[in-house]
Amino acid sequence: MAGNGTQSYGVRDKLEAAAPLTPPPPGKEVLIKIRELHKRFGSRHILRGINMDVYKGETLVILGGSGSGKTTLIRHLMGMLRSDEGAVTVGDLNLNKATPAEMETYRKRMGVVFQGAALLNSLTVLENVGLPLVEVDHKPAAEVRTRVIESLRKVYLPAEEILDLKPASLSGGMRKRVGIARAIIQEPEIILYDEPTTGLDPVTVNGVNELTLELQKTLGVTSLVITHDLHAANMIADRIAMLYLGRIIAVGTKEEIAANQHPVLQQLLTGSTHGPLTEAYLQPKKGA
Amino acid sequence: MAEPYRKKTTQMTERLEVSPAVAVVEEIGRAIGRKATIAGRATLLFVDACSYVSQANRSLPVLIRQVETSGFGSLLVLALIAGLTGMIMAVQTGTALQQYGIVNQLGAIIGATFCREMGPIWAAVIILARVGASMAAEIGTMVVNEEVDALRSMSINPVRFLVMPRILALVIAMPILTAVADWVGMFGGALISNITFHSSISQFMTSAQQGLTGMDFFSGLFKSAVFACIIGTIACDRGLNTTDGAEGVGKATTDSVVLNIVFVLLADLIMTSFIQLWLK
Repeated sequence: MAGNGTQSYGVRDKLEAAAPLTPPPPGKEVLIKIRELHKRFGSRHILRGINMDVYKGETLVILGGSGSGKTTLIRHLMGMLRSDEGAVTVGDLNLNKATPAEMETYRKRMGVVFQGAALLNSLTVLENVGLPLVEVDHKPAAEVRTRVIESLRKVYLPAEEILDLKPASLSGGMRKRVGIARAIIQEPEIILYDEPTTGLDPVTVNGVNELTLELQKTLGVTSLVITHDLHAANMIADRIAMLYLGRIIAVGTKEEIAANQHPVLQQLLTGSTHGPLTEAYLQPKKGA
Repeated sequence: MAEPYRKKTTQMTERLEVSPAVAVVEEIGRAIGRKATIAGRATLLFVDACSYVSQANRSLPVLIRQVETSGFGSLLVLALIAGLTGMIMAVQTGTALQQYGIVNQLGAIIGATFCREMGPIWAAVIILARVGASMAAEIGTMVVNEEVDALRSMSINPVRFLVMPRILALVIAMPILTAVADWVGMFGGALISNITFHSSISQFMTSAQQGLTGMDFFSGLFKSAVFACIIGTIACDRGLNTTDGAEGVGKATTDSVVLNIVFVLLADLIMTSFIQLWLK
């Protein structure tokens, strides 16, 4: 693990130094392999060489401040962005080189929970949750209804009562659960969560976190959660990775991360307004 | 010798760089470039959307909803505007024709004007302002709320799911609306002709029938179908390319209306020229 110990981090290069990649522990299989991932938008160098493994069946939480590249990273995993350099490999599939047919198969293996649930406002809950079954799998209406009800029950929603409601009639927490129900309806192997608890009240946040844990246990999925909520990370993570200025600067178990003296992690843990996380916005990015 | 020349050239270049006239020309050039880029991208989007028309049966509920919104939702306001325009035209033209004693030709003039130009143009203006703007805003909001990303993450192509049904709905609804505008406009003209110039409605309609050819009527319907493609494509393109949150949605909506007016009129000019050449 990089960045651990009591080493002093006075120099910026050391602050931004990427955590070295460690081989998977015995019994762990790498499902998602990210190697030297770079992404630029114009002159802005957002991802600056991400190296990371996600093990099969684990929940990996990626922590990072605003503008650290979290969303850009998850969009690469969704297959919506192609990297400028490096590769994202899921199983044997290199997402950069995947054909449209391969991407379609991959996306069936993957569910995404968006920050604002991203439900289609013109459709009912039934149509929203059943959308991938209707549009991609071409399932008959009766089967879609049954599976939508099953999926809604898995996320503890009163399925029959809300099936015909539009998303606007639901509370924020319910919308988020409907979003999760849609993400799991095709029984994916991987679930990507993009800041799933942002904007929710503490009780609903805990509810969503418990649900994430339970889905991992019952469905055995591999989850990758992007968040800046430390409490959520501690509750659901098997491992935590810290993203800072487009690089993974630390990866480890909750305990390893808590013991890490890296100033960026320390600032995130203490919530201080003084430190490299806030200073990073005052200086031009290296390589930008 | 070379130094004063270089100095003078540099001064001239500097003057050119700061000259307001140059700045205006540059800005016009950039604006034309931007419009050309949008037109090119919209053309590609239209071609992409056309490739999914064979799968329209999969989007039947969306298609029906869109035809209903764009068609029936715009019918009343279009009929009102077309009727009033027909009346105004009848008053203006009828007064002039009365001086020459040929007020009985009013039906032919108003009929031809409506079927060839006013019907399709009014239908386009109402649709681009009412439906096109709403499409751009709706799709723009979907982009901002990550709904379009959600579709992509489920392997649902947004062009097939969102764009194709909207363009197709307009292509179905616009010729119908144009035909309604033609008839209501002519009826408005006939009514004024009857009240003001004491010419019977049947006389007005007979004059219209004699002055009009099938080509006049169908060329108008053809134009309206082309306008539908332009309006739907530009509105969806602006919506899909929305950035910068709520402000971006507003900009996409305004852009959609402005660009649609420009491109509809441009297309009208081109089509009218070709139709007139063909009729010769």
